[in-house]
Amino acid sequence: MLELDDLRRRYGETVALDGLSFAVGPGQLFGFVGPNGAGKTTAMRIVLGVLEPDGGGVRWNGHPVDAAARARFGYMPEERGLYPKMRVADQLVHLARLHGVSAADARAAAGEWLERLGLAEVAGRRTETLSLGNQQRAQLGAALVHDPELLVLDEPFSGLDPVGVDVLSEVLRERARAGVPVVFSSHQLELVERLCDAVAIVRGGRVVASGPVAELRARRGGRRWRVELAGASDAWLRDVAAASVVHRDNGAVVVELAPDADEQALLDAARRAGRVRRFAPEEPTLAELFREAVA
Amino acid sequence: MIATPTAVALVARREIVERVRERSLWISTGVTIAILAGILILPSALGFGGATKATVATVGPRAEQVVARAHGLQKTFDVALTARPASDDVAARKLVADGDADVAVLRGGRALAAAQDADDAVIAAVQAGSQAARGASIPPPLPVERAGDSGASDRRGIAFVAVVILYGQLLGYGFWVASGVVEEKSTRVVELLLSAITPRQLLAGKVIGIGVLGISQLLVIGLVGAAVGAATGQLDVTGDLVSAVGVVLAWFVLGFLLYSCAFAVAGALVARQEEVQSVTAPLTILVVASFFLSFGALDDPDSSLARVLSFVPPSAPMVMPVRQIAGNVTASEMLVAIVLTLVAAAALIALAARVYGAAVMRTGSRVTLRTVWRGSG
Repeated sequence: MLELDDLRRRYGETVALDGLSFAVGPGQLFGFVGPNGAGKTTAMRIVLGVLEPDGGGVRWNGHPVDAAARARFGYMPEERGLYPKMRVADQLVHLARLHGVSAADARAAAGEWLERLGLAEVAGRRTETLSLGNQQRAQLGAALVHDPELLVLDEPFSGLDPVGVDVLSEVLRERARAGVPVVFSSHQLELVERLCDAVAIVRGGRVVASGPVAELRARRGGRRWRVELAGASDAWLRDVAAASVVHRDNGAVVVELAPDADEQALLDAARRAGRVRRFAPEEPTLAELFREAVA
Repeated sequence: MIATPTAVALVARREIVERVRERSLWISTGVTIAILAGILILPSALGFGGATKATVATVGPRAEQVVARAHGLQKTFDVALTARPASDDVAARKLVADGDADVAVLRGGRALAAAQDADDAVIAAVQAGSQAARGASIPPPLPVERAGDSGASDRRGIAFVAVVILYGQLLGYGFWVASGVVEEKSTRVVELLLSAITPRQLLAGKVIGIGVLGISQLLVIGLVGAAVGAATGQLDVTGDLVSAVGVVLAWFVLGFLLYSCAFAVAGALVARQEEVQSVTAPLTILVVASFFLSFGALDDPDSSLARVLSFVPPSAPMVMPVRQIAGNVTASEMLVAIVLTLVAAAALIALAARVYGAAVMRTGSRVTLRTVWRGSG
């Protein structure tokens, strides 16, 4: 269990983190989303000990994170970085050993991950000669090669082609199934929605919404309904005082009800106006929740 | 988490393995050895040093006998004579006039012709040869004893080569440390490294790895240089030479301890390779200045300026070895210079340990030493 507790950090006059808190449980795939400059990278750097917080703390399994715990974390920095002239396989072996893996195990693990990430053929090449996509995969290998107990990945999907996205998604799911908490940041909200068990939306250095995506949806409430009527205009809606139109598409109308309004009244009004083809709760997408949260 | 010695060893090992794979290391080793071999072989190839070589033109058997006698005496006069028969006196004079011979023995051994620039020792040797050929019962020439220390100029030569090599090695390897730090910073790999090990471990591993490489290269250069020198007969592998190699190795370690951490800190202050030159300029100037100051010591190893400079830490690693090799240094003087250098190195290492960690994670524009010192509390 990873817990970020009231993290605070300033850069000069700029407040990067303003009491940021969230927790990620074992086996949880956790999406960390927010506009640029919201503090995601700063928070991740603090988790990895690359940066010191001005206040607050990070706990791992109930204890403040120390160097011994960090050695068991896997990290993919936002700004990618590997030694350009080093051979890909040597690089992974070196990084695994810096995390305390024995020489033999490091070589075995590097070989396995390079195979898995589709880099076996370029294992002996200098990293700088790889395509950007392959460098990205090598970077992921660097985060995984020491079999970490926690994964913290800053924008791991950016720059990947669709195949790469699939490979990475599968690796992250598989790690989570193995009980590893996986935290990653991304601007690809559909991907986060599809992949994650839970998310935290940050703005201005603090979490403005967090929890399982379903819960976030429920919190906003099933107040939006999609109504599809055969051959009727929207005139009938004027009779339903508690409803306001959110948007229309393809002959359907999405309606938001006042908090205490009864959706059955809406349905009755619709049936009086024409044949109801469809009447369903309209679930907000993560992107919509995100826009509302950071607005 | 891994233990500090393991972390340092892993980082040092990477530095060595990766740099040995770089062609540039082998090229620089080769170039240095070539220069060294050139210094050793060229003087004799160009006719400097050793016995004075001279060609003696001869006309007729009596003249040849004169040269043969002179040949027997050439060690005494420190000359090496080669006879060149000519058909007659006119031809022999022409050889001298054209510079093809230094001296001519004319008129059946009764007269000499010498070029304007002919060496006195050559003329004296031929004179002595003609006296011997005429059967004159004169005593052999007096043996000449050179006054002063016979090894002084040799040792000065060794000291010169030593300080040139030390200068190149300290500057080159210091610069390697700085650009190695910048490489990790500019490629951002440093963030990944620091999520596994501490800045101090990274700094120590880098400096030790590059330092070990520097020592190894010096040893290879020293061994190959001595082998070439011995094989060509230009260098007697004497105690002077062996102790000079030891002095160079020792002062490389001391100088590298002193300068490398300063170079590492300089590297940590900038984010791009293009800035390495400018940020290390003050250190480069210090090394270059020490190098030129060591020339003064080469001229007069025991002058008071040389003595002072051999104790002051920035110049000690280049001036002290010159004094040790070419001059007279007491054991206590040497000890003082070593201790002062070590104290300065320790202070710089402490500064580097504090500043490097704070500076190395900063990206973007160049940071000042003052900012990182404050920020690193």
